[in-house]
Amino acid sequence: ISVSTRAYILFLFAMMSTRLLLLLYLTGHVFAKKSEDVDCLVVNLDYISCTWNKTGTPEVNYTFYSKLGNDQWKMCNHYLTENNVNIGCNKEIDSRDRFKTFRTQLTNGSEWFEKGHELKKQVKLNPPTNLTVLNGSDFNLWFYWNHTSPAPLHCVESEVRFRTNNNNWDVVSAGIQKYCINLPSSSSRYELQVRNRVDDACGESIFWSDWSEPVVWGSNNSTYAKNSMSPWMPVMYVVGAITVILLAMILLHHERWQLFVTSEGFFSLFFKDWFQFSKGLKDNFKPDYNERACPVREYNYVSQSDVVSSDGSTCSVTTDQTDCSIEHDPEDLSAPFPSNPVSSEEVQKASV
Amino acid sequence: MKLIVFCLFTIYCCSLVKASTMEHKKLKEVLRELKMLKSNLPNTELMMNTPPKDIEDCCCLTALTCFRETLLEHFGISGKYQKKLYKSLNHTLTVSTFGLNFCNTETSTTNCSTCHSHPKENASEFFNRLESLVQRVRLFQIYFRKLYIKY
Repeated sequence: ISVSTRAYILFLFAMMSTRLLLLLYLTGHVFAKKSEDVDCLVVNLDYISCTWNKTGTPEVNYTFYSKLGNDQWKMCNHYLTENNVNIGCNKEIDSRDRFKTFRTQLTNGSEWFEKGHELKKQVKLNPPTNLTVLNGSDFNLWFYWNHTSPAPLHCVESEVRFRTNNNNWDVVSAGIQKYCINLPSSSSRYELQVRNRVDDACGESIFWSDWSEPVVWGSNNSTYAKNSMSPWMPVMYVVGAITVILLAMILLHHERWQLFVTSEGFFSLFFKDWFQFSKGLKDNFKPDYNERACPVREYNYVSQSDVVSSDGSTCSVTTDQTDCSIEHDPEDLSAPFPSNPVSSEEVQKASV
Repeated sequence: MKLIVFCLFTIYCCSLVKASTMEHKKLKEVLRELKMLKSNLPNTELMMNTPPKDIEDCCCLTALTCFRETLLEHFGISGKYQKKLYKSLNHTLTVSTFGLNFCNTETSTTNCSTCHSHPKENASEFFNRLESLVQRVRLFQIYFRKLYIKY
């Protein structure tokens, strides 16, 4: 077969393939059904909420039917709408109905979309309410809240998150309707929130409720930011560093200061008097120290006329040679005491 | 005489509440053992008669019997977890709780399907339905206890 014939055959083959693919595409587009996906959720064990707007608002208004357990198919009597188009349906139920089979049908008259749902775990409770805080008599911080779902208390599992002074949240499990923080600090600020879900023994729900409104306890003035620092601290650090640097520079660049600091004079300036005092103190503290007692006497005034008339010699009142102002060696006991012709009292030696 | 009657009545009421608490704990024990068996079950393609999810209240006891006998027939009681679960499902407290499920008339129980009439499901679905049934009855039993305490 010649080259031109081959080329012609290949060209024809390509054209036919293209047309066939185009035909298949058009056919598929015409006959393909747009399936509406229905998602159902049991809200607070009170009602089932089914929606079909996950991929956007539908173009047509659908009619919704549901069948719970062995009941008949029932049309929705409470639609959810968006721009006057039905996007969902709410159906009231009993709390135990989630264990039954649940089927839904969505129709626009010509198309029917049917789907089965497992509702047991598709539960989302409402968040707890009336969250309050009390400072107990045991000096602990007690938090209390209420549940709004019809589920018994033993079927509800709670979880709290709290933070101190606006730091990171801590998430922990909680008891039934209460939680305790041990011995809180009076200068700290505590913030707590709680959420709940159906527990494992009653058919565990895979969704937690939303967090409740927060409750705060603590000082209003203690609005701490994370890793907060006083604004004056950096300033003080800088001033202190500059002072140290200046002192170092002075020491390094002034030789006189260097010599003074390293010399004995620096130490003697501070300790000289102390050593002197110490020496005197040391000398005075002797076990057999004796101190001569100072005599105490009365001086009588004698007039000149009386003195002259008695013996013709002139005498005057003299100071006592044994006055304490004269220094004596306290150990020199052999030194005679000077006598005073006027004194009439004996001098007594006092030993200490 | 009146005092004795009053005391006996009080003791009777307290015993009912106590029994209710024990039933509550018994069902929790059943769920715990069921969970252990499910996690230790070998991968099997065994198909067995399984009561449907939508059991009427009056047929809960019949369904329990079906689950218990099917468990015995297909898994036996030689294994540790199978034995424990079977004993719990056969316990008087469990049976009385299932029988107390808002069903007082004997005639209504005659409309319950027999065990062999139920369609067959795999082991995983079998245990999931048993778990759902126990949880549903337990939920009702808690309600009953609350009502009893209230009134």
